[in-house]
Amino acid sequence: LTNGSRPRLVVLSVLVISLVGTLLGRLWYLQVPHAAPYRVAASENQVRDIVTQAPRGEVVDDMGRPLINNKTALVVTVNRITLDNLSDQGKAVLHRLAKVLHTSAKTLRSQITLCGPGVHDPNCYGGSPYQPIPVAQLKPTLAATRQALQILEMKENFPGVTARLTAVRNYPKPDHALASSILGFASPISPKQLKRLSQQQQQIEASADTGKAGLEASYERYLHGTPGVKQVAVNSSNAVTRVIKNTRPKTGDTVVTNLDAKAQASLEQDLHSAVLAARGNGHTADFAAGVVLNVRTGGVVAMANYPNYEPDLFSKTLTKKHYKSLAHAEGYPLLDKTYQNAQAPGSTFKLISSLGLIHDGTGSIDQAYDCPSTFQNRHNFDGENGKGYISFQKALIISCDTFFFKLGFQDWQRDNSLINQHKKPVQGVQAMARDLGMGGNPGIDLPGAATGHIADRKNTRLDWEQIKANYCKGAKNPSFSSQHRLDDANYCKYGYIFEPGDQENEDLGQGTVTVSPLQLAVAYSALANGGKVFEPRVAKAIVSPRGRLIKRIKAPIRDHIPVPQSVLDYIRTAMYGVVNDTDGTANGLYKSANFPLNKVLVGGKTGTAELPNSSQDGSWFASFAGPVGGKPQYVTVIEVNKGDQGAITAAPTSIKVWDALYGLQGDKAIFPNGQPPTKLPKLGIAAVKATSTKRHHHAKSNRGSSPTPSSPSSPSTGAAGLPPGLVVRPGTALLRGLS
Amino acid sequence: VTELSTPRLAPIRLRQGGQSLRERAMDRESPLRRLDWVLVASVASLCVLGCALVYAATKPILLNSGLSPTSYLKKDVLNLVIGVGLAVLASLVDYRTLRAYTPVLYVASILGLLAVLVPHVGVTVNGAHSWINLGGGFEIQPAEFAKIAVILGMAMLLSERREGLTAPTSRDAVLSLAICLPPVLLILAQPDVGSIMVFAFLVFGVLSLSGVSLRWVGGMLAVAVVGVVVIAHLHLLKQYQIDRLTSFTRPGAASQSSGYNANEARIAIGHGGLFGQGLFHGSQVNGGFVPFDYTDFVFSVAGEELGLAGGALLVLLAGIVLWRGLRIARRAEDAFGMLVAVGVVCWFGFQIFENIGMNLGIMPITGLPLPFVSYGGSSMFASMVAVGLLLNVHMRSSR
Repeated sequence: LTNGSRPRLVVLSVLVISLVGTLLGRLWYLQVPHAAPYRVAASENQVRDIVTQAPRGEVVDDMGRPLINNKTALVVTVNRITLDNLSDQGKAVLHRLAKVLHTSAKTLRSQITLCGPGVHDPNCYGGSPYQPIPVAQLKPTLAATRQALQILEMKENFPGVTARLTAVRNYPKPDHALASSILGFASPISPKQLKRLSQQQQQIEASADTGKAGLEASYERYLHGTPGVKQVAVNSSNAVTRVIKNTRPKTGDTVVTNLDAKAQASLEQDLHSAVLAARGNGHTADFAAGVVLNVRTGGVVAMANYPNYEPDLFSKTLTKKHYKSLAHAEGYPLLDKTYQNAQAPGSTFKLISSLGLIHDGTGSIDQAYDCPSTFQNRHNFDGENGKGYISFQKALIISCDTFFFKLGFQDWQRDNSLINQHKKPVQGVQAMARDLGMGGNPGIDLPGAATGHIADRKNTRLDWEQIKANYCKGAKNPSFSSQHRLDDANYCKYGYIFEPGDQENEDLGQGTVTVSPLQLAVAYSALANGGKVFEPRVAKAIVSPRGRLIKRIKAPIRDHIPVPQSVLDYIRTAMYGVVNDTDGTANGLYKSANFPLNKVLVGGKTGTAELPNSSQDGSWFASFAGPVGGKPQYVTVIEVNKGDQGAITAAPTSIKVWDALYGLQGDKAIFPNGQPPTKLPKLGIAAVKATSTKRHHHAKSNRGSSPTPSSPSSPSTGAAGLPPGLVVRPGTALLRGLS
Repeated sequence: VTELSTPRLAPIRLRQGGQSLRERAMDRESPLRRLDWVLVASVASLCVLGCALVYAATKPILLNSGLSPTSYLKKDVLNLVIGVGLAVLASLVDYRTLRAYTPVLYVASILGLLAVLVPHVGVTVNGAHSWINLGGGFEIQPAEFAKIAVILGMAMLLSERREGLTAPTSRDAVLSLAICLPPVLLILAQPDVGSIMVFAFLVFGVLSLSGVSLRWVGGMLAVAVVGVVVIAHLHLLKQYQIDRLTSFTRPGAASQSSGYNANEARIAIGHGGLFGQGLFHGSQVNGGFVPFDYTDFVFSVAGEELGLAGGALLVLLAGIVLWRGLRIARRAEDAFGMLVAVGVVCWFGFQIFENIGMNLGIMPITGLPLPFVSYGGSSMFASMVAVGLLLNVHMRSSR
């Protein structure tokens, strides 16, 4: 060997050893100390969740009539991944699809744009990019089916596009009952709601609907169902290589309500007629509300509004302009006036005043008190003459205002002297109102219930502290009239004082007192049922889609009226007198309507509430009824805003309610003998079995006539196989050499 | 079998009259007795490992496409069998006899490289026009065989000594560089940057080890540095070549196709950990996330499915091949044998380091297969011929 080569061979050997060493070191570095991020990246590379949303549960009435169920609609979906993998990013496909769907390719493009930072498209899709994105919902018409067939039959022209049957919300409106604001609505989950979920849940729920109002919101956890998740392994071109796990979607549970569609429909109709009648008499009657409660269970039998809206309003695309115009329209159609709005209840509040005054010792059922024609420059309602010394019963029957003024003043004086002795004021009427669920959340199973307001010394001062600054400014505002400035200056200075007039007004259900019709109904229920103050419940039970009972829902009893039964009986008798005694404020009306008081015993109280900034009155009538010789079964509260006196507009509506419930004027009673159904309706499998054995001659059953993809056996909405677009494609393109 | 003394030169006697095959094989002077079994064993291990990895890499994709999962494995084994045959041939003919035929081999390889440039004969894969279509799904890469021709050519020129001289003269050096020029220019025309880099390393190695003056060694290094600067300044490389060469310095640039390759390969290797996910169980491999994981990125399959244990074994086996090559060079009977061995070691050494290095993200991405392991006929054949040459030199050395 040549001499010069030997040392050079050694150099080469060293070089080779160091290269091998470098490779080994780097290999160790990647696989041992720095492996973690690569492991994560590898696991993220392979597994994708494909989510199939579960159909939401149904909402049915007490007889099992669906108020909300699902219908199948042909939903056209587009798979983004498939489009992106096309040479033109799916431009041609979207053009063809736009033609078939009679829309523009631009709209479709914006619909499948993923929401994210920098995306300002209002149509953008907030769900997972691995979900087929819905772009159109086809009505089940012949023309629409043809559209879908065009897509399905020419798959090669529409790669990644599918039309498949999907469950969408349907409102059957049994007997034309709307109950819109009670039912509420569900819509795609908002980014805010999504953020509150865990990372994994976010993936699953991104394309889900959630309840946003009404029962849809309050029973969301039952109605929602469990989305189906198919976990698939995918390769680098997003082709599914294998299914790892597949859980099928589970339909949401059914909410059985205490609502009765027939009672609901008739109440909605009655309120409409009441408004029309009042308007015919020259009143504004901008809105009306009515509540029917089962006094024994606290269940909501019917709860209606006028004006109302169609229950599918929010499931259609609603423009911002349209929404705004509805929100501000006369009578606030979007607001539920039965539980989301509180007004002065007028004399119907005398129930609470009486109980409060008797309970705190200002008055007694064994004594008589003065009912003068005027007191402290306040005269009796409608300028009636004085009736001398009368009992509480009489005062309620004839609705003597000065009677309550006087007692209210005594009440105030007693509390005032207690304060002067540095003792706590009793404020018995306020305490009674609170015990009956007023001035606070009534606890109904619907979101956004109004609390109303019960004024007392403490919150009068708190209110004044919060708002006095405005009034003090107003007192110095030169653009205000001198009277306005004087009023503002007075409030600025003395607004914290709870004056005798405040107590007197309160006892009459006027002034700062506001309650919702629902709260009033709860109070009258308590009187009717012997003292139980319920937190009312719309829902009665949760039942699985197959018909198995999951949970019974009972209206909790929040309190008992803190007076002896004798006092309750005494006041109840007075309420019966309002309707039955010849001098009762509602007697004339019930008589002239030929109401069969010998069959159904009705008690109640009229209310005519002066409204702020209006010369018109709120017309109220709160009443309860039961079969003669039995206990009261239902309470009905009717309010017609700006609708004349209680006895003239609201009370006649109560007659119609009793007519409907008891079937008094030839019509079939909604509840025979006034008994509401105690058993749960048969639903799901049980219902199918019942109908098939009962009437197997008939091909179609009543329940079967509406398409319900949430039928218990197969809740699946998607195609059984892989989602479109995510299909196995030959990977031959990968098998080429790199040079 | 009468001579007891070991002859200084082992003459090639393919046909010894009157002896049975077994006798000839067991003969003390039989080439089989002088085989480097360590080299053979390590190359065989690499080949077996390679077949397993190629099968693991291609099986899921083939299954997905509804094809036979073993179709690539079968071709790989066929290549291997042909390769072994070539290796046997290359080792049996005395290398000194081969030396006489070197000009023929050289001309043949030049013709092969020219054929690539002929339309309809040459095939372009991944931007390089490097293949000759043989029909029936077979393609060969003449550049692989050109490496052997250049090694033999240079070794021949640099081992011919004038009387009284122990080292090649500058004239020899110039001549040996001159014969490198045609193949290198032809490969540049394809263009196949990876092969050019192998050539550069190989030529430098052979020339340096030939004992040529150190000025030549220093000069070549200087030329290399200037060359790189010139290439960079004159924009002689295409953008995809620059991307490939430089993407390893930007691991985040995974969106580019070349960066994507390297990134996914690194994920696969990192995912392997100490003992790997198990053969056929690598999710990166099975999901097809690492493109070309049966050819240039075959090491990533070892990294993911066999882990550090398998990856290190592969590197060590390759290291043993290089060690045996260096050992053969040191013990070679003559300068020609030594330079042939050095040429093969430089070629393998650089190609192994470059290939595994790009899998590990420390070397730029070039289209170089891993000898004995990657799928591909041309590489397998050329590597096997090279091993045959090493064995040839070894069998005919006295030490």
